[in-house]
Amino acid sequence: MRDAYLEQLDGLAEILSVMCGQVADALEKATKALLESDLQLAEEVITGDTLVDETRSTAEERAFALLALQAPVATDLRIVVSAIHGAGDIERMGDLALHVAQAARRRHPQPVLPPEVAPYFAEMGRIGVDLARKAGEMVRTRDLAAATAMEAEDDAMDDLHRHLFTVLMDHSWPHGVGPAVDITLLGRFYERYADHAVAVARRIVFIVTGQMPGPLMV
Amino acid sequence: MATVPLEQRRAEIAELLEQMCTAAGAALRTATVALREERPRLAERVLAGDAAIDELRAEVERQAVTAMALNAPVAGDLRTLVAAIRCAGDIERMGDLATHIARSVQRGRPVPDEARAVFVQMGEMGAEMADHAAEVARTRNVVLALELDRTDDIVDGYLRDVFELTLDPAWGHGVEAAVDVTLLARYYERFADHAVAVAKQVVYMVTGQPVEQVAAELDGGAAEA
Repeated sequence: MRDAYLEQLDGLAEILSVMCGQVADALEKATKALLESDLQLAEEVITGDTLVDETRSTAEERAFALLALQAPVATDLRIVVSAIHGAGDIERMGDLALHVAQAARRRHPQPVLPPEVAPYFAEMGRIGVDLARKAGEMVRTRDLAAATAMEAEDDAMDDLHRHLFTVLMDHSWPHGVGPAVDITLLGRFYERYADHAVAVARRIVFIVTGQMPGPLMV
Repeated sequence: MATVPLEQRRAEIAELLEQMCTAAGAALRTATVALREERPRLAERVLAGDAAIDELRAEVERQAVTAMALNAPVAGDLRTLVAAIRCAGDIERMGDLATHIARSVQRGRPVPDEARAVFVQMGEMGAEMADHAAEVARTRNVVLALELDRTDDIVDGYLRDVFELTLDPAWGHGVEAAVDVTLLARYYERFADHAVAVAKQVVYMVTGQPVEQVAAELDGGAAEA
């Protein structure tokens, strides 16, 4: 009975890990679409989001089955509830990658980003993708080694986001209001994506150590 | 110690969710008044009140997890408990978004009048949606929940209004104000999204079906009648 339970729990973790991979790919493609005004890539992300939503439903069904059939208690129960939260966070990451792709599509064939802010988004994209992959790894292995690095990367994301605003608000900003509005929203999407990845990692830390590291800002 | 019966536990959770929604709605109202009247000290009150909403969320989660562990809930009850945990997450986020608006007020940069007028409407609408969600959480009334689900389009309309203002060539307030206004619009929109998410959860919790399906069936039924 216990073995079957652990097997099902591993199966659930595996699904969440796969989901992290899906949203990492989505953000990678969306960022490339944004930087290179690649319409086809943007479309791929937009159509691909339903797969993330489906994976979330699968994860939830598994979680329900675990709760209903195995009636877990204490720690095991926390794990299943955390998995349900985690699936919600990862689905939201997929939505945010989708928003980035939609911005790329809306302006196509015009580039969304003026050249001086493009490097910010290249770097925010890289960090976001890396956070999602690390979160997926943590979900699967429950190895907390990456947790500290993830917090540092999230701080780096916040710094980039803040700097981005100083660029926009600089009086010498030559591109006018339209691009500034797009960039404001895009910056926020990347920042929130990172927040959700870190929230997933924090839940794993909580499961393993029994302690929540810092406030859950998501 | 005797186990609290599930029915009682569920009623307590519903009451906590109702309180949370009411508190989030009040936070948005206060934040919006602070925005309208440029009152940073009033905004401070929103920031100070957020911890209470966070604490209510933790309490919902504790109660739901305890019920799962001790009351051996079956399918439908389990769905209710999980949905309650999710609703609590959404409502906590509504509180956070009200604090984002409050912080924006505290930064003290003026919001152009024409944008402010839209935010006053978005704030009133969002707060009403939170009150509506409170009633949905309390009554678990699917028809009320579906009404809330339908208000989403109105909020999207306001959001478009704000973007059109900033993109209008006549916008004379510069980039800085446009950035602030864009973020504020987003906070109001997300607040409303989360209120709608609560309604969707309640529909799912009561019917076991996704909201789109229930809405379609009801519409179909109305067409036949």
